[in-house]
Amino acid sequence: MDTASSTIQPVIAYIAYTLSTLERGFYKLPGSGVIERYVRSSHQNDPGRTFLELVLIVFVIRTLLQSRTRADKDGQHFIEFTPKEIDELVEEWTPEPLASPLDERDLSDLAAVPIIAGSNGPRPKLVNTGKSAYNLASLNFSGLAGNEHIKQRAIETLRQYGVGSCGPPGFYGTVDVHMDLERDIADFLGTEAAILYAQGFATISSVIPSFCKRGDIIVADRGVTLSIQKGIEISRSTVRWFDHNDLQSLEEVLMSVEKERKKKRGPLTRRFIVTEGIFERDGAMVDLPKLIELKEKYKYRLVLDETFSFGTVGRTGRGLTELYNVSASKIDMLVGSVAIGLCAAGGFCAGSQIVVDHQRINGPAFVFSASMPPLLAVSGSEGINILRSSPSILDTLQQNVQAARSILDRVESITIPSHPASPIIHIHLRTPTSTSLAVPLVKPGSHKPSNPLSPLPRDRPRFDIDIEEKILQDIVEEALAQGVLITKAKRPRGMEISEARPSIRLAMTSALTRKETEKAVGIVKAAIVKVLARRR
Amino acid sequence: MAIRSRTPSSGGSQSMFKKRSTQSLSPTMASAASYLSAVSQADARARTARSPTPTPTATPALSFASTTSSEPTTDIDELDEDDEKFISPLSVPFRPPTSEQVFNTVHTEFGHCASEEFRLTSAHKPGAPIHGHVDKDPPYYILLSTYISYLVLICLGHMRDFLGKRFHPKAYRHLMPHDGYASLNSDFDSFYTRRLKVRMDECFAQPVTGVAGRTIVLLDRVSLDYNRTQVPTGNKTRALNISSYNYLGFAQARGGCADVVEEAIKRYGISTCGSRLEGGTSELHTVAEELVARFVGAEDALISSMGFATNSTIIPALVGKGCLVISDELNHSSIRFGVRQSGAHVRMFRHNDMRSLESLLREVISQGQPKTHRPWKKIMLIVEGLYSMEGTMVNLPAIMNLKESYKFYLFVDEAHSIGAIGPNGRGIADYFGIDPRSIDILMGTFTKSFGAAGGYIAGKKDVIDRLRVKGYSGTYAEAMSIPLLSQVIASMASIMGVTTPTVSSSNSSSTIAIRSHAANGNGHLTDDEYHHPGPVSSKILPSWMTLPPELSSGEEGRTRLRRLAFNSFYLHRGLDKLGFITYGHPASPIVPLILFNPGKMMMFHRMMKDREVPIVVVVVAYPATPLITTRVRFCVSASHTKEDIDCVLRACDEIGDIMDLKHGLAPADRWSIDEICDRAVELVSLPEA
Repeated sequence: MDTASSTIQPVIAYIAYTLSTLERGFYKLPGSGVIERYVRSSHQNDPGRTFLELVLIVFVIRTLLQSRTRADKDGQHFIEFTPKEIDELVEEWTPEPLASPLDERDLSDLAAVPIIAGSNGPRPKLVNTGKSAYNLASLNFSGLAGNEHIKQRAIETLRQYGVGSCGPPGFYGTVDVHMDLERDIADFLGTEAAILYAQGFATISSVIPSFCKRGDIIVADRGVTLSIQKGIEISRSTVRWFDHNDLQSLEEVLMSVEKERKKKRGPLTRRFIVTEGIFERDGAMVDLPKLIELKEKYKYRLVLDETFSFGTVGRTGRGLTELYNVSASKIDMLVGSVAIGLCAAGGFCAGSQIVVDHQRINGPAFVFSASMPPLLAVSGSEGINILRSSPSILDTLQQNVQAARSILDRVESITIPSHPASPIIHIHLRTPTSTSLAVPLVKPGSHKPSNPLSPLPRDRPRFDIDIEEKILQDIVEEALAQGVLITKAKRPRGMEISEARPSIRLAMTSALTRKETEKAVGIVKAAIVKVLARRR
Repeated sequence: MAIRSRTPSSGGSQSMFKKRSTQSLSPTMASAASYLSAVSQADARARTARSPTPTPTATPALSFASTTSSEPTTDIDELDEDDEKFISPLSVPFRPPTSEQVFNTVHTEFGHCASEEFRLTSAHKPGAPIHGHVDKDPPYYILLSTYISYLVLICLGHMRDFLGKRFHPKAYRHLMPHDGYASLNSDFDSFYTRRLKVRMDECFAQPVTGVAGRTIVLLDRVSLDYNRTQVPTGNKTRALNISSYNYLGFAQARGGCADVVEEAIKRYGISTCGSRLEGGTSELHTVAEELVARFVGAEDALISSMGFATNSTIIPALVGKGCLVISDELNHSSIRFGVRQSGAHVRMFRHNDMRSLESLLREVISQGQPKTHRPWKKIMLIVEGLYSMEGTMVNLPAIMNLKESYKFYLFVDEAHSIGAIGPNGRGIADYFGIDPRSIDILMGTFTKSFGAAGGYIAGKKDVIDRLRVKGYSGTYAEAMSIPLLSQVIASMASIMGVTTPTVSSSNSSSTIAIRSHAANGNGHLTDDEYHHPGPVSSKILPSWMTLPPELSSGEEGRTRLRRLAFNSFYLHRGLDKLGFITYGHPASPIVPLILFNPGKMMMFHRMMKDREVPIVVVVVAYPATPLITTRVRFCVSASHTKEDIDCVLRACDEIGDIMDLKHGLAPADRWSIDEICDRAVELVSLPEA
């Protein structure tokens, strides 16, 4: 006992000393008297409260000390291992290969990808065959590719600005020609403002998440293209799907969302309808006036992807708004492609000043990417000037589309889902590729709505991707042998929310005359007939 | 806008720089307050100074001794729009060229510097220790005042919101629900933008014109309504550009590369019309891909038209559900964007901290997937070669060691390091002397060192082929346009050097020979003469492409690399010796200078821009950086001359004294600015601490 108390004594003395030092130190602090009086009186009035406050302080300290990037280490699923066990587990683990090698078909498709020698245009020379061919594959709707005036302006810009802008728009990457093109696009479409992105594909996948956040509602078409799918996915918003290009289905979904909200009495959230003008997947065209009517009725904001309709439809190529004579300012976010519509590069989003300014700070692909090279922006501006001043370009394009459709619509063995005015024409095979996979006939009258939560429609068209792709590739190669370059619509299979039906995608161009178009499409038709006949 | 009159020197261009050093910020401007008032006066002057007569804005106290019309002055009225070369001190080299020196570049784009001593080859010495990222702490009062500034800003902001919504509901209409629509952006989400960023909007999105080379021309603007809008004044200012990602100085409107681009536009047009797999592939794409593969030392490469989209479209094709991505906490937004799209699980480790990485690896491999404890399908580690906000270089040797024991796949984003780092400019692997083929995926961009735009992915042939088919960009995104392709080919070839097929490259340090690809089906990679990292055979380049001899020999490319390394080391060490807190590796062309207080951002930006030789800088704060470490980020370029860096250092020295920024080195160890400028070569060649 004695020894114990003699060892404890200095410890107690030390503690007492420390406490008194702390106390003195505390009283030296200005304002400590107030705290002391407060604690004293509160303890006197309600000793329980002191205890409660102590618990609170401990809790606060614990919360502050907890690391924010905490793993589930303290969770119930964590298993303790000794270092040796971990070593063994590490030793045992064998990862899958980074990428499984491609199969035969992908390899042969890759080898068959057309490579264009020299300038691309209506009749480019191909590296693959060494010959020139009519080009119904490349996206040159307005025929601006290879335009001498645009080339000249691009070279002038090169000599003044160099090639790259070497910086994101926020940090000395906003060049005056970007602002010019933004103004040109806004003027052309009739919106308040527009914002440029460096790549067309990245535009909408960045526009959607810059507005739609967790908890917001997106009502989207089931047939939207991959960039929209990805934008929706990243936004983490609540998604409801409506049947592809079916505005009745859209209205049903809008009503069900409204009903749900009323039932839950949730707060008013942002709501968006996301769809395409001309669908990349099949060339269908949305009924814009009806869409706007619905959007206004149910008070949704509209995100419209005009990638394939800007520069391709309307009298001067202003897109669907010009075709249907609707004011572009009714569309909240109008997304288009400078790369496709104007044969330059990049994409844009047009809308009100508030919409555009918001993206300048919140659009990830805008903020974190280098801005578009100045000479490409100038090419875009020149493209708009040409479209404005020569409506004949779009006339020719429409004539060519009609010419092509009048030939293709008569082919028995194919179906064309595309709108008659769409400059991209998708060709599906009509023949059921295998009897067991026949497309189920939807009985007219027995219409049951699809589940809006699922991206897949209720009556899913069934098709055999492998067989159809094989036939289509044969048609593509047959056409190329006859001097027409066409392409299958390429899809990264297994990466999309639903598989698009295999198709051949023809891209019409105003750079070909009506005669040439008829000839080229005639060859395509012959190739289809020949390949399908061979298979029977 | 000048705060003092822009006094032209009386003794010709040579004395410009000397004079500036003595007369810059005069003692009367010693305090920040007096400076600010001077700035506002200057602003007011500038607004009224649009009178047609070119009256100098000099105050009578300072002599205006211009006698000849050829005097370099920077009076704003003289910045004539039609005049291609503005007469500014930046247009004239510090040392006039001697008769035997011939410069083939425009000085404002790519500075003339003939002095061979201002060159450096930077490479990692094998065995030398690699330091992780060190946070250098400032004194406590700086930390405290930084937190207090944010607190004040936030409180003021909320007060303004509270009052504004009641007294000016119109101005807040877009933040409140109206007509049955929810607000487009909630006031909470946009609080930072509205209440903090707007205050210093003049530092961001500055419109410019011309080449973003050594100098850049600013389109001046003012805000008359507290930064709600910015109005262009119509004036232009040429400023020293230490902000653009122009590491090797290939942002040029003149010279061999620009000539190649012009020729390519004439031959091929602008756009290739469509995606890579659907009729948008030009033969130049295949050339560029072969060249990129050789440049980085990989089997094969694919290119995409946007750097940001390269990551966001390729990562989902590499990993998916059941896979784990381990990501450095400071990885770029495009990587996060891509990883989020992929559906893979993500874990982060502390920035460049190998111990944190190893313990994380041990944990995730032993635990397996959450809840199910199944083993991960794949683990991919994503790091950046050079971090764009910190200037830190990834500790690649340590990661390669870990890779051996933990069997993860390695994805290195070389957006900033490719072209800029390494004795041959081949990026981070080159710097550390590591075989690039031991890295699974090498990604990089063409925006930075090559003066173009777009990105690439390089790796094994079967992986790249798979990405061609399964990556989104091949199917959906527009292919890279012709001007960009030709710029990439020309600039890359001139860094590598070109050999004609008959001359074999015997003296190149051969490490890995590219295997013949003739058997691999594609059949276009046929020569096996290439030795990494050596010159490229002219066989794979387009036959019409002619580079001037100084480019095709690789001589200029090497000079550019050595100039960049010198400038990076010089600025980095110079700032350190002046007593500033900087981050990052001295070999990194990104040099962040830490300011801490958010209020100093705009001051620093303005004081740099309002100097006699205006300097434009990038200032960044939360959320791009941690809350406390607000910083200035310098991006050094090979196009800067030693005198340009002197100029930046001098400016920093003066501003640093005014704004109390020198919290790094103890005063006793610091060097004076003159000492630094005089002993630059010695400073640069100091061994690594």
